[in-house]
Amino acid sequence: MRWYLALLVSAFAAAVNALSSSGSRLLVVLDDTTDKSAYSILWSDLEGRGYDLSFESPKSDKLSLFEHGERAYDHLLILPPKSKGLGPNLTPKNILDFMNQDGNIILALSGKASTSSAISSLLLEVDIHLSNDRSAVVIDHFNYDTISAAEKHDVLLLERPAPLRPDVKAFFDGEGVLALPHVAPQTLGSNSQLISPILRAPATAYAYNPKEEMPSPDDIEATGSQLNVVSAVQALNSARFVVLGSVEALEDQWFSGSVKAPNGKKVPTVNREFAKQLTGWAFKETGILKVGKIEHHLATDGEVAAEDMNPKIYRVKNETVFNIEISEYSYDKWVPFEVPAEDELQLEFTMLSPFHRLALKPTVRTETSAVYSTQFTTPDQHGIFSFRVDYKRPFLTNIEEKHEVTVRHFAHDEYPRSWAITGGWVWIAGLWSVIGGFLAFVVVWLYSAPVADKVKKTQ
Amino acid sequence: MHMWQATVQFCLLASAALPAAAASAWGFTDATVAVQPKGAGVNSGFKESLSVSKPLSKPVALAGADTLRVTLTTQEGSSAKRPHQAFLLLKDSHTGLDISYPFTVKENGKSRVELTQKDLPIQFLSLPEPIDARVVIGSSGSSEAYDSSIFPLSIERNPDVPVPTVDVERYGKLPEIHHIFKDAATSPPIVITLAFVALVGAALPLLAGLWLLLGANVNHLSTAFKSAPLPHAIFVGSLVAFEGIFFLYYTSWNLFQILPAAAAVGAVAFVSGSRALGEVQGRRLAGLR
Repeated sequence: MRWYLALLVSAFAAAVNALSSSGSRLLVVLDDTTDKSAYSILWSDLEGRGYDLSFESPKSDKLSLFEHGERAYDHLLILPPKSKGLGPNLTPKNILDFMNQDGNIILALSGKASTSSAISSLLLEVDIHLSNDRSAVVIDHFNYDTISAAEKHDVLLLERPAPLRPDVKAFFDGEGVLALPHVAPQTLGSNSQLISPILRAPATAYAYNPKEEMPSPDDIEATGSQLNVVSAVQALNSARFVVLGSVEALEDQWFSGSVKAPNGKKVPTVNREFAKQLTGWAFKETGILKVGKIEHHLATDGEVAAEDMNPKIYRVKNETVFNIEISEYSYDKWVPFEVPAEDELQLEFTMLSPFHRLALKPTVRTETSAVYSTQFTTPDQHGIFSFRVDYKRPFLTNIEEKHEVTVRHFAHDEYPRSWAITGGWVWIAGLWSVIGGFLAFVVVWLYSAPVADKVKKTQ
Repeated sequence: MHMWQATVQFCLLASAALPAAAASAWGFTDATVAVQPKGAGVNSGFKESLSVSKPLSKPVALAGADTLRVTLTTQEGSSAKRPHQAFLLLKDSHTGLDISYPFTVKENGKSRVELTQKDLPIQFLSLPEPIDARVVIGSSGSSEAYDSSIFPLSIERNPDVPVPTVDVERYGKLPEIHHIFKDAATSPPIVITLAFVALVGAALPLLAGLWLLLGANVNHLSTAFKSAPLPHAIFVGSLVAFEGIFFLYYTSWNLFQILPAAAAVGAVAFVSGSRALGEVQGRRLAGLR
């Protein structure tokens, strides 16, 4: 009984410690031959953030991503295997199934050996492409570490990335220099909205197979910022997949090392901070959005009574207020979500197509959430409408809210009265003059004395 | 770890001890940029020589089917040599777009690259300002790599041919939509309305005047009220009451309120009316009408 209790308490403690918003079971897939201790700082950092690490070799028979059809792990970190592929338990299909069940994945590559075709075909599934011979390395003769790669220039020194676009939130920015040895470059398909580059190579970089003596112009497939060092995919179910071109960047050696760019000063690397940002984002510690209360009601000056909140039916041309409460998860707590400066949270009022698409502005801020609202007039069209908030942005989990309401027409007694319409006054005057004429006629008919006789008499 | 530190120390020592070796730098010489119109012979178009230190100030125009050709000889220090990387890098500072075209380099450093508008990504075709064309020369080892702007390149397009656009969808904010409401019903100017109301209102006095002209009068009022005062008062009153009920229906009452009232007033009008009209008949029979 006591052991059972202890187990329960430890399980509870683990659950409390888990900082990720989607679970703490992390499977690390690495070769037996790979030196696990080379990454000891990474493991201890992850454990310190509440992850339960399990290590498996890709060849192991026990390795399975699923148990009884459910995910056996919440997150997956795959280090590049020395052997040909990832084995029968980590086929591209298994890994995609894992993603479809909301599992998050970091796949590390290395330019030291050629990448296996199994990994290449997995990446093709998410429209990320490796070089044709799968063994290219990024070289930059301008941003390299003069200490460790004075001859080959294959240890890239890069700033941490600025926001991808002015309207995208930065999750990987910061001061300092990253050292990225032997980067296996990726190029991204241009048709998918789900892929975003995290870290791109500088404009002067190029990729080539180091086994060849001289790169011939035909071998150069992509150059400069088309080469991605780190790229990300966020599926429609918000499961995350990160491809890191340089697994060595996670080694202890580069977490605490110092580097020197040509004509630069010797500076310590910030790989450890970047690894925290990268694993934190991939394993859903950052960039998670949660919708709280959604309220809509008729615009009034004072407080809205509870029974007037979220009515099922509106009339055309009603002044309507819509509020949505959104929180963002940041490492270990929920904070109010702030929309990036050039971005907008938009409300659509739709029937088949949007009649209104309006920016929601922040109105109220609580400790853990921000309320965004807008006011608008319902269109002069009756039917079944819905309030929709469809907020999908790179690096943020998707928000898709849809709340249906009926918009009815004016009731017969809601139109303006006829006397209020000046154009109707002529008809009203005509009506009452007919009534007056009728009454006058009745009186004349009842009480008029004939005059014809008098006329006859005078004749 | 020890090994690595030792390497670092060695490298530091080496870099401190051998500053002269690090000083050699990549560059180029005998560089020309030429634009050859389609179908024209070699050397028939624009041609200008380039220098390592000073970029051309005037943009080089690359129109329609022209071919841009850059030739140069790469040098390490002052000796011609083949580098690992010799690129013509096109970079747009506003959008951050960049693309490189590798030179075809011979063993003696002689390099050339040719470029037409077809080779450019379509994003480059619609840029308003000239693109920065740079030469990048670098190689492994300690020689300093070269990366400098050599000329601005302006892409000239036939204005009649539309610029091809890339239509890629990216998550981001969409344009705002505001519903356009139908125009509210309007009334004519109040002056016109009032003029017609006056016209309609004038019809009643006009009618009264005509009747008076034809001799309409109420001379039998006293006779009628003497012989049957109550039926006449009630009958005329009930007719007025009917109109009052209609007025209330128009302003505030509903059908269920007017029906009983109309039934009551109707019954009164029927009873009192038969008496009153009987009196009227009596007058006719008496030859008064």
